[in-house]
Amino acid sequence: MSRTAAADDEPKGSSPHEPLLQPWQFFLLAGMLAATGTVIVATGQAPANIIILSLTVVAVSFVGLGAYRLLLPLVSAEADAPSLIGGRTRIALEREKALVLRSLKELEFDFAMGKMSQADFDEMSGRLRRRAVGLIRQLDAGGGYREAIEREVERRLSESGDQPLGLSGCECGTKNDPDAKFCKNCGARL
Amino acid sequence: MASLGEYLLLLTFVIAAYAVAASVAGARRRSTRLIESGIGAFYTVAALMTVASGVIIYAFVAGDYSIRYVQRYSDSVQPLFYKITSYWGGLDGSVMFWVFLLSIFGSVAVRVNRQRHRELIPYVVAVIATVEMFFLFLMIIHNNPFATYLTESPTDGRGLNPLLQNFYMAIHPPTMYLGFVGLTIPFAFGMAALFTGYLDDSWLRAVRRWTMFSWFFLSLGLTLGMLWAYEELGWGGYWGWDPVENAGMLPWFTATAFLHSVMVQERRGMLRVWNVSLVIITFLLTIVGTFLTRSGVVQSIHAFGEDPELARYFVAFMVSTTVFSFGWVIYRLPLLKARHELDSWASKEAAFLANNWVLLFSALFVLFATLFPTITEAINGERLTVGPPFFNRWMVPIGLILLLLTGVGPLLAWRKTTLTNLRDQFLWPVVSALVVAGTMLALGVRVWSSGLCFALSAFVMGTITQEMVRGANVRRGMTGTDILTAMIGLVGRNKRRYGGYIVHVGIVLMFLGFAGEGFSRDQQLLLKPGEEATVGGYTLHLDAIRVTDDGQKQMVTGHVTVKDASGAVIEQMRPAKWFFRKHEEEPTTEVAIRRSFAEDLYIVMPAFEIEEQTASVEVHINPLVNWVWFGFGILALGTGIALLPETAVTFAVARLPAEAVTASLLILSLLLSGGVARAQHVETGQDPRLQLTSPEAREISQKLACWCGGCSKLPVGQCSCGHCAIERAKIDVMLKEGKTEQQILDHYVTTYGGNQILSEPPNSGSGRVAWLMPIVVGGGGFLMAAFLALRWSRRPSLAGVPAGIEDPEMAARLDEELRNLD
Repeated sequence: MSRTAAADDEPKGSSPHEPLLQPWQFFLLAGMLAATGTVIVATGQAPANIIILSLTVVAVSFVGLGAYRLLLPLVSAEADAPSLIGGRTRIALEREKALVLRSLKELEFDFAMGKMSQADFDEMSGRLRRRAVGLIRQLDAGGGYREAIEREVERRLSESGDQPLGLSGCECGTKNDPDAKFCKNCGARL
Repeated sequence: MASLGEYLLLLTFVIAAYAVAASVAGARRRSTRLIESGIGAFYTVAALMTVASGVIIYAFVAGDYSIRYVQRYSDSVQPLFYKITSYWGGLDGSVMFWVFLLSIFGSVAVRVNRQRHRELIPYVVAVIATVEMFFLFLMIIHNNPFATYLTESPTDGRGLNPLLQNFYMAIHPPTMYLGFVGLTIPFAFGMAALFTGYLDDSWLRAVRRWTMFSWFFLSLGLTLGMLWAYEELGWGGYWGWDPVENAGMLPWFTATAFLHSVMVQERRGMLRVWNVSLVIITFLLTIVGTFLTRSGVVQSIHAFGEDPELARYFVAFMVSTTVFSFGWVIYRLPLLKARHELDSWASKEAAFLANNWVLLFSALFVLFATLFPTITEAINGERLTVGPPFFNRWMVPIGLILLLLTGVGPLLAWRKTTLTNLRDQFLWPVVSALVVAGTMLALGVRVWSSGLCFALSAFVMGTITQEMVRGANVRRGMTGTDILTAMIGLVGRNKRRYGGYIVHVGIVLMFLGFAGEGFSRDQQLLLKPGEEATVGGYTLHLDAIRVTDDGQKQMVTGHVTVKDASGAVIEQMRPAKWFFRKHEEEPTTEVAIRRSFAEDLYIVMPAFEIEEQTASVEVHINPLVNWVWFGFGILALGTGIALLPETAVTFAVARLPAEAVTASLLILSLLLSGGVARAQHVETGQDPRLQLTSPEAREISQKLACWCGGCSKLPVGQCSCGHCAIERAKIDVMLKEGKTEQQILDHYVTTYGGNQILSEPPNSGSGRVAWLMPIVVGGGGFLMAAFLALRWSRRPSLAGVPAGIEDPEMAARLDEELRNLD
């Protein structure tokens, strides 16, 4: 496991202020100190023994790190935000599009290598191109549900006569909540 | 120390259980905190297993013989390297090593995919942690590596089996484990996709690399095993279809099938059910492999001994995994339904379908034939032997079909290859195959399997060369560079495709090596010092038999001078027998090998008579065998290219040599580890007779299986143990008495009270099942695949998009996007 990767993962629970030590740094340091202690205690043993002992002690510090990662999320004050899986449809469409495009590319390559006749190529590439165009259109139209839902909400709100969301515009162009006193982007008084 | 280890295992079990609970609960409640905590627990398991491994290695190195496992597998005089590798030398430790590797692999896989496959991760954690729990449970309940002696503890250990104190034996098991363990990761992702219902191909992208990586280690492990068998066992071959070799082969077949069928799903969205099932089957087969090695269900030189209780645990685990995972597949069938459209028979999809079926059939056949003796014994108490001749009878044609498909597949286009263009595509490969076949015939090669193999190899090489050259030409036309740059660009742009082709080249080279076996010759010589004999162009002159002692062992060495046809001395070879102190009753046979790319001269001295100064010398001439190892080097190179990250196009060229060098260096170091290899083979202490066997007797003895227990039931005609030497001599006597082959075989069947002495099951009684199975399953499966393909190809193609004239604006945009794709 790369230790650098461990670092960029940590700050989630830690305070916004940069702490003196990243957790993994702390644990690694502790492990190394403990290993040094072990070496002193184990003086007189064969070198191989001492090396393996100190490596084991360092491994113990990783257990500490693991336990920290296990416990931290349970006690952190951060809200238990459900992991949203939005835009999945859009991702699927994008993926589908990439797939079709790649198939097209491959088809062209195969054709260039002389694996199929012009007629077959035209037929298949035509079919793929139509599909690709269809997908692009779908994506342009906002295939994702999120946009569709937002539009729908807006439409219904305006129909029911309520004040639509986000009318308190700011000079900077940001839409703010109706009861906002300051702009959430530039901070100007509304 | 011991109790510390024990507590660590217990704690790991608890943490793994927590990881399962927290991840599943977190995923169900959509609670990031629980999921994060579960992942933390998962990492903790890896850390704890590292500590536990450290503890047991320390116990080995420090010589804590109060721990039984340490006492049984090491002693104080053992070199440090073997003390450390003793960790996985026995049953209990190997289970622990397994969990250790799995926890590390799992952590890395979770770490890498945490962001990209957020919704799958909790279930991946749960599945892997469950598998870890099973093995931890085994250790805690049944195979505790930290178990101590209850009363007085011995002062020294029993020592690792001398046979295992060998470089290959130290690295072969871990590479196999890496392959096996790595295949758990695709399984975990597949299951997670089933749980969550996100069955598009995103999970495939997460596991493709892992499968390739594990597949590579599996191939490496198998090759190392072959090398070991070749250099150690002294019978001149490298693959004996031993149950445990087969166990390693099983997941290799299905993983190979998966690596190919993944492409079909990625490109065409077909075969979704099939891919999930393949991943599950592959995982199950790795567990079957572990089960076969560790339960003593099958007789094998690798087996750790019989253990019915362990067998029960494994069976319970396998059955519940099978029911559970396939239950989910059935539950998700509606989601797994995919567009099935097979445009044409002459398409890559159809070729992949065939390839998958052949590979799956291979796995089924090998599994069946391995378990057949156990099954018949359980059903009607009749113990039969399924020896190497039976495997070869079926696997040689299967291998050749696979080789043919290797050549055909790349020539076909996705969806549909136009028939008129087929001729153009197949022309050169077929011509090269025909040329080679004609040359073979002209040279008088009459071994059909090898001849066909050479022709097919030429066909595949023709295919690959044509693909590379034509591809490069097309690219040159597009980019306007010279052909070499175009070729590098080609490989760089589509690393998986061309890396795959390079793997195919490696496979072809390995097949060349296999085909060489058809021309191998062996001869037994009886020589006294000063005498010489000629075998296949080599003249062997026995100079002396010398006895030396280096304090650790007594060595009886035959000094053999090898001359070529012109009489010039080309090599001094030293086949030997070593008698280790404390192990005098188990002398080891030292093989002497003279390697070259054309053929190996392989000399063993199975018996000698010091007083009369006579040595029995077995000479094997193995043509092309080194191409097997060399082919693996190429395969490794190809895998390395295919594994390069997608974005690494720019430094593909810079990084490629590094990968190539590592892989080739490894192979070269194995190849060149001395022109004359030293190897060991422990034998039973019987005194083999110094007697020449007539060719007729050898012929008959090929049909009998050796039951010495030191080999994998090789034919008596091949095994170099003393027992077989005696049997061969007996057959000689019987032949002189005028007995026919059938009478001799019948004599053996009555003497041994059953057909198990025959190296192939008889084609009658319960043995007939073994003969029918390949035909029934192979044929049935073929018909089923054909039926499915027919059904899919008949279905009207669902383009799903209204036909219409493309509007020019969209067409331009599409072209733009296509250009940017490069």
